[in-house]
Amino acid sequence: MLQIDSRYIEKALSANALEELYPLVQNAVELEHSTIPPYLTAMFSLNPGANPVQRQVIHSIVIEEMLHMTIAANILNALGGHPVINHADFVPEYPGPLPMGIGNGLIVGLEKYSTDVVKNVFMEIEEPENPLVFKSVSLAALPTYSTIGQFYQAIQQKIDELAPDELPGEKSKQVTSSFFPADELFPIYTKQNAIDAINIIIEQGEGTSTSPLDQEDELAHYYRFEELYKGKRLVKDDTAPNGYSFSGPAIPFSAEGVFPLFPNTKISMLPVGSEEWNRMNEFNTSYYSLLSGLHTTFNGQPGMLDNTVGVMYDLKLTAQKLCATPFPGKPGYTIGPSFEFIVPAGS
Amino acid sequence: MSYLHAPRLVFTGDFLSDVSTVNNDTAHYNNATFQPNFQDPGKGATNGWWNPEGGAVFDFQNCAVRQIFLPDGTTQTSQSDDIIIGQAVVGAEGRPTGKMVDLDPDAQMFSALWCVQLRICTANGDLLFKGDITTTSFRDLQMRQLDGGKSNGQPLGASWTSVITNIEWGVLAEQSAFLKTLRATTQNNTLAINMNPFGYYYNHNDGRFSLGRIIGSIGPYFEGEPLTFAPARRLYGINYTPSARSTFFSTSNFLVEPDSKRVSIDFGASFPVADSVGTVTYKQDLRLAVSKVPQTGVASRQTPTFYINPNDFIEIGTLDYQSDPNWLNQTGGIASFSNLPDATMAALSNSQLLLITPSTSQPGQFAIIAREAIDGLVARADNFIQRLDDGQSVNIDFYAYQWGNLLPNTSISITLDPATPDTPVGPQNPISELYGNNFPAEGLTFDGQISTNQQGKAQMLLTGNAIYSPRVYIDGQIYFITYQTATVDQAFGTEQVVVHLRDYFQEIANPVWSDISEMMIQYSNLYPIMSKYVVNLADPAALAEKKKILIFAFSRDINDTMHMPVTRDLSSTKRNTILNWLNNPQIAPKTVVRSEAREARTANPVAPGTALTDKQTRYREAVKAKNGSFPGFSATNDLFENL
Repeated sequence: MLQIDSRYIEKALSANALEELYPLVQNAVELEHSTIPPYLTAMFSLNPGANPVQRQVIHSIVIEEMLHMTIAANILNALGGHPVINHADFVPEYPGPLPMGIGNGLIVGLEKYSTDVVKNVFMEIEEPENPLVFKSVSLAALPTYSTIGQFYQAIQQKIDELAPDELPGEKSKQVTSSFFPADELFPIYTKQNAIDAINIIIEQGEGTSTSPLDQEDELAHYYRFEELYKGKRLVKDDTAPNGYSFSGPAIPFSAEGVFPLFPNTKISMLPVGSEEWNRMNEFNTSYYSLLSGLHTTFNGQPGMLDNTVGVMYDLKLTAQKLCATPFPGKPGYTIGPSFEFIVPAGS
Repeated sequence: MSYLHAPRLVFTGDFLSDVSTVNNDTAHYNNATFQPNFQDPGKGATNGWWNPEGGAVFDFQNCAVRQIFLPDGTTQTSQSDDIIIGQAVVGAEGRPTGKMVDLDPDAQMFSALWCVQLRICTANGDLLFKGDITTTSFRDLQMRQLDGGKSNGQPLGASWTSVITNIEWGVLAEQSAFLKTLRATTQNNTLAINMNPFGYYYNHNDGRFSLGRIIGSIGPYFEGEPLTFAPARRLYGINYTPSARSTFFSTSNFLVEPDSKRVSIDFGASFPVADSVGTVTYKQDLRLAVSKVPQTGVASRQTPTFYINPNDFIEIGTLDYQSDPNWLNQTGGIASFSNLPDATMAALSNSQLLLITPSTSQPGQFAIIAREAIDGLVARADNFIQRLDDGQSVNIDFYAYQWGNLLPNTSISITLDPATPDTPVGPQNPISELYGNNFPAEGLTFDGQISTNQQGKAQMLLTGNAIYSPRVYIDGQIYFITYQTATVDQAFGTEQVVVHLRDYFQEIANPVWSDISEMMIQYSNLYPIMSKYVVNLADPAALAEKKKILIFAFSRDINDTMHMPVTRDLSSTKRNTILNWLNNPQIAPKTVVRSEAREARTANPVAPGTALTDKQTRYREAVKAKNGSFPGFSATNDLFENL
């Protein structure tokens, strides 16, 4: 089961002032971001037109990770902190551990879509505190571990304890967007706003402790990935122990409909000055531009968010072209997007 | 003031232009005859040319400031002289890249930059300044590469002249004496910029596919001056190179500044280069001079070279470029000659500048490579590319100059070019009938005779009227409007105002899919990158699913880089109809027959087979040369042969 380094939870629980929560909430912003490159790489590896359900499921989860990242940044601003996004430390090294020792050594890389990656990486990342087990294993007594959800709960508890009802951050820094429902992304002005917002992150990721659904009646990330892994939809089933079973329609998967990305492609693996190298440079330039735009957005210019949406499309189109491009010198492979933090420079 | 004035900076590097090419073929706009392989890479009208999956991205790559030129006439090339030298010139950050698009498949010579941001930053990303380049289109296309573009495929170059607005100065700007002087000199917090792209790669060679070389310069801007060309004097090439079947040094801007007794000439757009990255290998003795006698020569195969006797010119100086093959990239091709003798300056005030070289065939004589416009006359339209809906009017600004000074009371006559004929399907045109341009004439209203005012400026009011699908399957019509002063210098010819007038279309408040399907299917055919990777534009269910992001894009301002369609070729009534559909996607066809009466299509007034004018023929050839469908350019080993 996925663990978080318990030091982070202890740090949260031992905080005596809101300022002591800033680095932890910054960590949360980093954590939410850190899952997006692996998910997107898997999604971009799906051939255009092939494996539409896999694409749709990952896309829906990525969108929610973006929402969570936005919520975490809003909370940090609301508490009076300053999100830092345009910095090399913000971007994890792939393959490598996620921030805060998530997963007790779980190594996350940038790889093509496969059911193995879904099971061994994505479901691990999203694993709830007590995963509901549907019609396969009996609910044995599960040991309790510290999870991402528990980390958020610790922060939530401390905000409740330490913060005034009206949070101290500048209201004008709160980011909202027409791309998210107002009951999921809302400005965080009060302590209650912050508590509600954290609940959204926890439930969308993990579901509730009694249901795989979140408050919006959508399957939590873990169970959406589990559907892809099992190749079956999770549906209501009164005969099943938890009221759900993987007895829904089959989710077809075609391994041929996946580009054979070379795992964890780096720009340094490509011949300097080659067309492929240039395209990877273009990709990383977009990635830098995106992080930089988000930094501006979350540091007092919330209106910039719309522009970053456009950059996301630039990034996506370049990535998809890379995924279809044969890897020079590595027969049988194509190029994965590297998501490296590189400041564009002159020559 | 202009990009040629001091203080100015020169930057050089590469540009990325991921233009899409399915739309390079007019016939590909016909949904009825469209075939899937038109989206595949490959030459010929039955393929999608060299970059069918292009996304219109334009961006700077590997660009850096190479040198600066100061008001006292000195040039600095080292970062120890000024912090700005060597810094990166990059595109937008935090918003999408700029875009590069043509006006129309029937007007491909005016590729425009939209929404390009330019930033100058240190290697850490710290800002010196940034700003937005106002939309501007290609001018002055000319032959650049002596190798005929054999590796890259495109030996032509062009110029984009514009202004930079919304300027934001970084904290570091304070540390640059150059930038402080530039800020103090320029007006309205606007800068003048000129960029010369060339060496563009259609081919997958040298790791440079879809890259080209770009040379830029940035200088002060003064209010009231034109935005898309420099208020400068012009030099036209008049030497024909038989082996290349071409004339090099076609157009170059230059500036004469009496106060500093200086001539600054810009060969950045014209200097012939050996290869796609701007290497100069020849070592010809090239000199600037002022002619004492009027020069009217025009390059032709019959008279490839004109000569001048040394007694008939005053020499200004020799171009010092031979010692460094990277001279063009380093200097931007701009050379300044300062502290000129009074006699030279006096001559320059009313005589033509020349680019000359010692003759080998006529010892003692000099061959004229390029000469200034006859009588020093330059008259140009500023906002010469227009997208108009019916009922819209726009003032086209004209400026006339003589010897660099604004010229009052100059009459400019303006004429709509003759209609071009339709082209039926046949061996040379296998896919679909092509429809002509420049009709119906009543689509545009404008005054055919204008005259510059006391300030040397004139305006022509241009109004778009309702037209009804003269090109059947392509929206609207392309109109070429030629303007000229009383005498035309044939070394340069005439220029045109080019208009895409959109079809009359009444917005549909509650459209069903069939009301917009033809438009959407056409975009889906022409821009496969969208349907492949974003949303299938031909599938109403897919559109409905992605309606949020599509509404976002279709409702952006035309000057927003995320504006859809990226080609910016839809009338507001059609765009609003698409938005109306997206807001309430109705996929089923209407149960009642639509009552809107379709206006009859306007017929072409000229019959198929009607001969084109010489200029129209040359234009068609030039389009082929520019868009990659020209069969082959000639290389030359000796640009200065038989002089």
